[in-house]
Amino acid sequence: MTDHVTELLARPEDRPVDAARLHLHGVDHTARPTWKLRETVEFYRDKLGLPLVHAITAKGWGRATEQHADFIHFFFDAGHGATIAFFYYIGTQQPPELVVPRGFMAMANHTAWRVETEEELLAWHSKLEKAGVQVSQSVKHEILESIYFRDPNFYPLEITRSLRAIERIDSVDAELTMAASLDLADAGGWHSVEQLWRQKAQHVAALQRAAKAPQ
Amino acid sequence: MSGFYVLDVPEFGPVVSTARKLDRCHVHLPLAGYIFVQFDGEIEISRADTGLNEAVWFGCLTGGLDGKIVTFDSDCIRLGPTNEAILGEAR
Repeated sequence: MTDHVTELLARPEDRPVDAARLHLHGVDHTARPTWKLRETVEFYRDKLGLPLVHAITAKGWGRATEQHADFIHFFFDAGHGATIAFFYYIGTQQPPELVVPRGFMAMANHTAWRVETEEELLAWHSKLEKAGVQVSQSVKHEILESIYFRDPNFYPLEITRSLRAIERIDSVDAELTMAASLDLADAGGWHSVEQLWRQKAQHVAALQRAAKAPQ
Repeated sequence: MSGFYVLDVPEFGPVVSTARKLDRCHVHLPLAGYIFVQFDGEIEISRADTGLNEAVWFGCLTGGLDGKIVTFDSDCIRLGPTNEAILGEAR
């Protein structure tokens, strides 16, 4: 077993977090550039209804030597103290490397917002459809149920609800998955999830042997 | 001994209950959060029997596999024994 799993299992289940450890307290904001100012404001403020709560305008960051563009940095309230923010670099053209690529790999870079209930998720689906936004049907994937759509910049967005609480076994399982992945990552010849599942079986077998062994 | 491990959480429960009905499967008791489903020879699990959607189905062996995938598509998983090295050569 890895040290991480041993530590997880040693900790009482009703106190899953190490109080002495330095913590983060959720998302303050995430940010990305836009070259579609009007469409972005209309989408987030008017279609999604996220309040526009803050806007910074500045002459570069004072970084004359870097030729940093003048900009607007504006924030929409996404609930529970989190905002989604954009930079609009005045008078610039979008560099090709910042155009959102098509295909599944670029979808990995996405924002997922939380709602609490199935009714809320369905209400968001309906709201998006009525606003003319192309939105997926809801998908239940293990611990989450989600709908997916894009903003005018083609940035992928998700609204999701939790289907159950994350338990300690989920953390243990994640540690074993990553331990098996790291076993394979540097070995060469790793090309399939089947190999990962086979490698992981060895970690799970070790976990079960340790659970059976006399303490 | 071939088999696969199922994380003992609700979303993967249908895999275990489907395996219980298969002649060549023996479902072990949960231990340390995982249920080991032992099998002899080749087995086939039908997605229709599990009732799983594709998002969960295609990840349902995430607990670990002691064996090999013969086929794995949207409709069924066929698993069998293997002695092959995981990375394709002796390690």
